[in-house]
Amino acid sequence: MRTKITDGVYLNVITSNQFKTTRINVQFLAPLRAQQSGRRGLLTSVLETNSAEYPTQDQLAARLEEMYGASFGFGVAREGAVHRMGAAISVLNDQYTDTPLLPAAFAFLRSVLMRPLMQGSVLDPATVQRERDNLLLYLASLKEDRGTQAALALQHGYFDDPVQAAPSFGESADIEGIDAQTLTDVYHDALTHDAIEIIVLGPVTTETVLPLAQQLGFAPRQVALSPGYDQPVHTDVRQFHEHAPVQQAKLNLGYHVESDDCGPRYFAAMVANQLFGGSPLSLLFRNVREQASLAYFASSSLNQRRHFMMVQTGIEAANRAQTEALIAEQLDKVVRGDFPDDLLQTVKDEILNGRESALDSQRFLMNQALTSALQPAAALDLPTFTARVQAVTKADVAAAAATFKLQAVYLLDGEEQ
Amino acid sequence: MDDTTKRYADAGETLRRVTLPNGLRLQIVVKPEYHKTYAVFTTNFGAVDDQVRLQADAQPVVVPAGTAHFLEHKLFDKADYDAFDLFGASGASANAFTSATNTNYLFSTTRNVMKNVEILLDFVQDPYFTDATVAKEQGIIGQEIQMYDDDPNWQAYTSLLADMYPGHPLSQDIAGTVDSISHITPAILRTMHQAFYHPQNMVLTVVGNFDADELIRVVSANQAGKVTAPAPQARITHDDYDVSVVQPYSVKRLDIVRPKGYVGIKGSAPITADRAGLRQELATRLFLELIFGDSGHTYTDWYDQGVIDDTFGYEFNVGRGYNFTVFSGDATDPNRMTNAIMAALRNYRANPDVNVDRLARIIKASLASTLPR
Repeated sequence: MRTKITDGVYLNVITSNQFKTTRINVQFLAPLRAQQSGRRGLLTSVLETNSAEYPTQDQLAARLEEMYGASFGFGVAREGAVHRMGAAISVLNDQYTDTPLLPAAFAFLRSVLMRPLMQGSVLDPATVQRERDNLLLYLASLKEDRGTQAALALQHGYFDDPVQAAPSFGESADIEGIDAQTLTDVYHDALTHDAIEIIVLGPVTTETVLPLAQQLGFAPRQVALSPGYDQPVHTDVRQFHEHAPVQQAKLNLGYHVESDDCGPRYFAAMVANQLFGGSPLSLLFRNVREQASLAYFASSSLNQRRHFMMVQTGIEAANRAQTEALIAEQLDKVVRGDFPDDLLQTVKDEILNGRESALDSQRFLMNQALTSALQPAAALDLPTFTARVQAVTKADVAAAAATFKLQAVYLLDGEEQ
Repeated sequence: MDDTTKRYADAGETLRRVTLPNGLRLQIVVKPEYHKTYAVFTTNFGAVDDQVRLQADAQPVVVPAGTAHFLEHKLFDKADYDAFDLFGASGASANAFTSATNTNYLFSTTRNVMKNVEILLDFVQDPYFTDATVAKEQGIIGQEIQMYDDDPNWQAYTSLLADMYPGHPLSQDIAGTVDSISHITPAILRTMHQAFYHPQNMVLTVVGNFDADELIRVVSANQAGKVTAPAPQARITHDDYDVSVVQPYSVKRLDIVRPKGYVGIKGSAPITADRAGLRQELATRLFLELIFGDSGHTYTDWYDQGVIDDTFGYEFNVGRGYNFTVFSGDATDPNRMTNAIMAALRNYRANPDVNVDRLARIIKASLASTLPR
């Protein structure tokens, strides 16, 4: 149930007796802007480390231990054209503890979000500097995971908008040399201008949670958020080629995808992606990996809010051309409707099994609440979701796949000789 | 047929255990409020089991590194079907993985639970290996090995194990090497399947929304219809608690951005597979948490001084014939980090974080991580 606390600040309570813990998630939502992704990412690291009440890391960790090992984290993510920071805490339910933990959990969130460790009027400079330097080291080390390097590079090449092209946690340039004052401005900006969605999942009601959520003390604000991002289809295919001392080459492809806001085309694209490369039963898995042994992994993933699909493969560099041709052939099969009817039903069943299984996931249920708040048309109950998936025909799938336009290709392979 | 039910009131769960006439063990946890059911079929056979004696006085059969993992991949492939397809047609999502000491085949589903359980039992117990399917898998697993070769953390970890357990299967990558797997044949796979995929060596664990009595009926009928060969001779376990063979220091140079430090502590005595052993295992983990946990000064001081960063972690592993602790993390100066770890272990008696109150708090906190969600 969604309740307004004040302008721009909402409480979403999901009552459930299914789990042993109660979770609270405070989401800060803002339009995606240049530089801000990295800066907000740094802010979450700083606020996660200490607070005025728990000025050192060990004191903060000790407090969580006292709360029967409550888990806490603060991270960033992107939803289309929205950037979000999420502070999440999870506590055991009352039957497993000797004191109720929910009020303590809210008090902890108030401490880290509203009363950070300051020196005068700025965030503690020593904490800011340490977290900034660690984050810069982390960003520089991302390419040690070659899969991550390739995925980020493909996105960088595909997206026209530089903010979309950057990762959700930003880039080094966002935070290089940043000082405590600048980060404090980012903090105040988020506190004052972000849309706030507080989500609580557990054996609780709005009546019991509302007073606790109100105590967090968010002031009213006006925010305009647009959830999606789209860009024009290019006639050319951009090519990118990087070298590194790798054993396994990574070949990634980026496609533009047409979609509607959770209408019939959305579901057709979902099914088409599953069939093309989204499952172990898909054409990419069967034909590129199992039949041709060309890859250990070959899969596709779809992000309809960004109108974007990515194929990722790990291959022998010498087989690049053959792999690209085989991938194109699989997509062509989907476009021509050249796949068995029972495979269509099987991938639908897979999607539905996944969606129903997700009802056992606290994370999914809480994300649904967020989706419901941002894009009410997108939050479908299981029977409606099922009906929309089952309604997708072979012709619908073929038509959706026909809109998957290759826009960018990225290859990472061994050093040039 | 053994059939016992135990209620764990503190954890809010009930466990039912059944042993079938052929030796297969069932572990059942019913959760009627859940939508999905999750089943894992486990065999007590993994990467460390590279030798078996098929008859009492015969020479042991030794198999190439990566055999258990290869077998896991190959079981999905049959003469006229792929197990993934069968699961798919029954609405389930399947997977498998191999560890040092066991191999696991699993599915999760929201429908057709019993049908999927039968598919699971049948495809794992019904082997099919040919030269063609083995050759194809060598290509795929070769790719998998190359992918892990590019992972610096995996490289460091496997090097650490090789330094602690030279000549022991633990020093080999679970997937083997491109060379070692080229020596795997259908006959080898058949031999190991027959030796280790025996019901007496296996456990089926099912958790979720289903009827337990129905499950027991279905599994019993399925197993009763199968002919099981007599169990072969006991496996050859390589016990290795010899600390004199450890290579204490090595450096590996790779083209990476962040240097990494790894410390391995080799167990010098076995931990028994009983309640006393479990207690010792838990005590070891608490001991490590007391010294290195993030609610202690050691962690915070190291973090603030840049000795460690967020990637710092540690783990205590117990397996058939071995146990060890691994510390790992990125560090600008990895030698400084590893030296600090060794000093903290040597000097724990003088560490103010090691006290009764903190231990009590850590024990209280560990409840949340051990309770199932």
